[in-house]
Amino acid sequence: MRIYVLRQLVLLIITLFLLTIFAFCLSYWFPGDPVTNSSGIFSDDTMRYADAASSRGFDGNILVQYWHYLAHLFRGDWGISLLDSDPVFEQLQLRFGATLEIAVLAMLIALVPGVALGVLSALNFRKPIDHTILSMSLSGYSIPVFWFAQIAILLVAVRWGMLPIAGQINPLFNIEAVTGSILLDIFINQPENMGLAFRSAIRHITLPVLVLSVMPMMLLIRLTRSSMLDVLDKNYITSAYAKGLSTRRVISSHAIPNAMQNVIRELGSLLSLLITNTMIIEVIFSWPGIGSWLIRSIYERDYPVIQGGLLLIAALILCVHVALNLIHAWRYPQVRKDLHATS
Amino acid sequence: MLLDIRNLTISTHTANGRVNVLDKVSLQVDEGEIHTLVGESGSGKSLIARAIMGFLSPRWDVQADRLWFQDIDLLNLNAKQRREIIGVDIAMIFQDAKSYLDPNLTIGEQLNEAVLDQDLSASFFKRKAERKEKVISLLHRVGIKDHEVMMNSYAHQLSEGAAQKIMIASAIAHRPLLLIADEPTSTMEPATRQQIYRLLAQLHARYGMSILMISQDLGAIMQQTQRLSMIYSGQIMETGPADVLLAKPAHPYTEALLNTSLYRHAEMKPRARLPTLAGAEPTLQHLPIGCRLGPRCQYARPICVKTPVLEKHRERQLACHYPLHLEEDHE
Repeated sequence: MRIYVLRQLVLLIITLFLLTIFAFCLSYWFPGDPVTNSSGIFSDDTMRYADAASSRGFDGNILVQYWHYLAHLFRGDWGISLLDSDPVFEQLQLRFGATLEIAVLAMLIALVPGVALGVLSALNFRKPIDHTILSMSLSGYSIPVFWFAQIAILLVAVRWGMLPIAGQINPLFNIEAVTGSILLDIFINQPENMGLAFRSAIRHITLPVLVLSVMPMMLLIRLTRSSMLDVLDKNYITSAYAKGLSTRRVISSHAIPNAMQNVIRELGSLLSLLITNTMIIEVIFSWPGIGSWLIRSIYERDYPVIQGGLLLIAALILCVHVALNLIHAWRYPQVRKDLHATS
Repeated sequence: MLLDIRNLTISTHTANGRVNVLDKVSLQVDEGEIHTLVGESGSGKSLIARAIMGFLSPRWDVQADRLWFQDIDLLNLNAKQRREIIGVDIAMIFQDAKSYLDPNLTIGEQLNEAVLDQDLSASFFKRKAERKEKVISLLHRVGIKDHEVMMNSYAHQLSEGAAQKIMIASAIAHRPLLLIADEPTSTMEPATRQQIYRLLAQLHARYGMSILMISQDLGAIMQQTQRLSMIYSGQIMETGPADVLLAKPAHPYTEALLNTSLYRHAEMKPRARLPTLAGAEPTLQHLPIGCRLGPRCQYARPICVKTPVLEKHRERQLACHYPLHLEEDHE
């Protein structure tokens, strides 16, 4: 196991390293001046421009420049936005928190019903329950998220007025952003009307999280169902019955744990989809996350922000993949046999 | 009589209509008996075992005049009643034992499950320790001395023989009256097979448990086999004491199978042809009417299109219109 962890971590570090090379190259591939692209300082601001050029090693060769790029990266100096001159790194931190908040919550909300419905439908294979769940998951999966989000706003927020339309919290609450995640921020800020603030924040977060959780939930149902059907056919299920265990026991201690093995492996690819959807949701719900910011930056050709945002999201997906691999190996011993971290 | 099966018919729907995969199979296992059921693959041996255990999926239609274990009708049990018998009084081991072990649980955890609560005497808090003790003694009983290592192993770390021993350990956890062994050694090399046979014979001798052994090779059955049943294409051909059947096969099928076994031909000439049954086992879509061996039987005559009934001939039972060697028996 120790060797497996080490291999996975080495793999992670190497991949992250390659990722920084790619991100570094972006400043040259983007149109315009590499110094501006990487630092966010225009050449008409002569003093600071010269400063940035020299501190980023632009008088040296490409390796020197890359070295300085890495140094800036680790120092947390990711340049400033071309649009509003906000430091990219600080902004990313804040917005990243907001993104993680809805993405993680959506995942958590999707996880339990998704797996439960998948198991239920596998246990009732080809019975009416199975057909119902399956058609529900197929239609839920086929509805485009941007359309679904707008319908949800139209019905729930506009017509019925049950929940707010957009935003993180009622702007009357003066919550200073520390982590970017609104729920955590309220807790850190400890405003006098904390209960009300929480209420407002939860009302704001409900709709985007629910809309966002639909797609992963539907995918999870299908994943769990097929994996469960696979496992139920396995010989060790027969032998568990032969031991005289009850159906409930066989399902809960043999079938589900084994079925989860495939599901955990697939969670990684689900995550990339989830991040993409999060970006769309953030734009629709004016959620101040990394996605809406990144999409705006792409429109406005705000290169330092694009560069930083891409780097962060790619690194996040990588880290989650490695973490899932490790969980997978920790929980499922026969994976460890495969010492060479292949995936 | 421990297990009494009379006229067990298992049928299924196919594109060509209803097919009786098992055709009026009768099989009896006495207390403390090792009974071997021999038949080629596809002859329905495993179906019998699964019908006894109640593992058959609903697409199989099971009918029988009797499917009794002691005085319990196995055909009409609800799930709860079945659990009181399966894994308690009837246990089963399988071919390809490794795939019958959960890959994600240690051997110890899986054996823990096999030890039933009702066999534990200690109070709730000492149960865990008692359970572990039981598991260790189970492992010792199947000849595994290194119990600590074994209990922490996973299925993929075991050899086929060791995995089968674990299956046996889990099967005998409650001292079953009947152990059904569905080709437990067919994927093993001969030395391991003998090991497993010896272990089963030991358990049989020590606890007097009956064994219904299912095998596809007449040349590699357990030496201790007391009764032998031959099944061909879902019909029982001949059943009787093993030594009688092996010495004087009365059914053409038994004889044909014996002839294909090399041990009977120590005096065979070099490069001689090994006598085998002509043709191949019929597929389910093209089952012959009457005696299913008919088309391949060298002694077959027109009357063989009528299914012969399993009849008693002294100590054996036979389903054949023209049995062999029986005249000598009557001398």
